[in-house]
Amino acid sequence: MKNDRYWSPYITGTLLGLSLLASFYAAGRGFGASGPFSLIAGVGTNVVAPGYAGGLKYFSRYLDLPHPLLDWGLFLLVGVFLGGLAGALSSRNFRLMFDKSASMSVRTRVFTAFGGGMLIGFAARLARGCTSGVALTGGSQLALAGWVFVIAMFASGFLFAALFRRYWS
Amino acid sequence: MTAPFEMSDAASLGLALLFGIFFGLSLERSGLGNPHKLTGVFYFQDFTVPKVMFTAIVVASTGLYLLSDLNLLDLGRVYIIPTFFWPQLVGGLVFGAGFVVSGYCPGTAVTGFASGRIDALVTMAGVSAGSLLFAALYPMLEGFYLSSDRGVVTLPSLFGVNHWVVIMALVVIAGAMFAILERFEHRLGKG
Repeated sequence: MKNDRYWSPYITGTLLGLSLLASFYAAGRGFGASGPFSLIAGVGTNVVAPGYAGGLKYFSRYLDLPHPLLDWGLFLLVGVFLGGLAGALSSRNFRLMFDKSASMSVRTRVFTAFGGGMLIGFAARLARGCTSGVALTGGSQLALAGWVFVIAMFASGFLFAALFRRYWS
Repeated sequence: MTAPFEMSDAASLGLALLFGIFFGLSLERSGLGNPHKLTGVFYFQDFTVPKVMFTAIVVASTGLYLLSDLNLLDLGRVYIIPTFFWPQLVGGLVFGAGFVVSGYCPGTAVTGFASGRIDALVTMAGVSAGSLLFAALYPMLEGFYLSSDRGVVTLPSLFGVNHWVVIMALVVIAGAMFAILERFEHRLGKG
C-alpha cells in the first residue's frame, strides 16, 4: 500500500496542524466537515418539501437564518474541495473512477458508500461533529469530547473491520 | 489586539475558504482521499490516518496553548467543543462503523470526490441523507442528544494538571506510536 505519489504523513500532518492553528488564532474556531452536509440536507429538504422541513425542529437552526448558505463551515468545505482538487491535479493523481475493493461488485459498492455515509451523517449529528470537528479540532483543544469520540471511533472501526474482514484489504 | 480577531462576514468566509484549501490539500497529499488508505489502519495495512491525525493534533495543541500562554491568543474566545458524554461516545461508535463501511469520513469524502472518485460523491449524498434521518427522528432523540451535558471539559481540567503535562504525554504517546508503526510497516514491506 506504500505509494510514492503521496507526501510524508508527518509533513502533511504538520501542514494540517498549522492550518488548524491558524484557524484557531484568526477565526477562533477549528475545522468541521459534517455540519455543512446537515445544512445542505436542511436547505435541500426545504426546497423540495418546505412544509416538512419547516416542521423539523433540528433544521430550524439553519432555516431560521436569513442567509443559511453563507456559512463558515460550508465555505471551509468548498475550500477542502478546491484544495483537494489542486493537490490531485498538480500531482497527476486525479483519476475519474469508482473506487472499491477488487472483490466488490459496483452495486454492493453503491450500497456501502451510501449506507456507510448515512451512518456517518447520523452519528456526526449525535456527536455534534465528525473526525474534523470533534476528533481533530476537539483533540487539539485537549477537549474531553474529542478524545471520547476518537477512542470510540477507533474501537468501533477495529471491531467492524474484523466483522467485515477482507472488505477493503 | 489579541486574537482571535473581529472581522466582517465577507472576511470571515474568505478565511474559511482559504483554511479549507490548506485542509483539503493536506488531506489529498496524505492520500486521504483514497478509501483504501483511509481504512488501512483498521486492517493493520496502512497507518496514514493515525500518523496524519496525531501529528496535526500535536502541532495544533502545542501551538494553541503556547499562543495562549504568551497572551497572544485569548483561549476564552476560541470555540471549544462541549462534552455531551454519552451522545459523543455512541456517536463515535456508530461513526467508526460508517467509516469502515463507506471508506470515508465527511471531509475525506470531499477530498476523494475532488480526486475523481464517484463513490465518494455517493458517500457525500449518504452523509446528507443520514443528517436528514437524524433531523426526522430528532423529536425521539432529543432527550438522549441533550443528556450528560458536562459543558466545556478539557483533559487538563479533568485531571487537575497543567496543560503542558497533557501535551507532553501526548507527544510521548504519539512519538512511541509512530516509532512502533514505522517498525511494523518496515516489516510489512519486507514480508
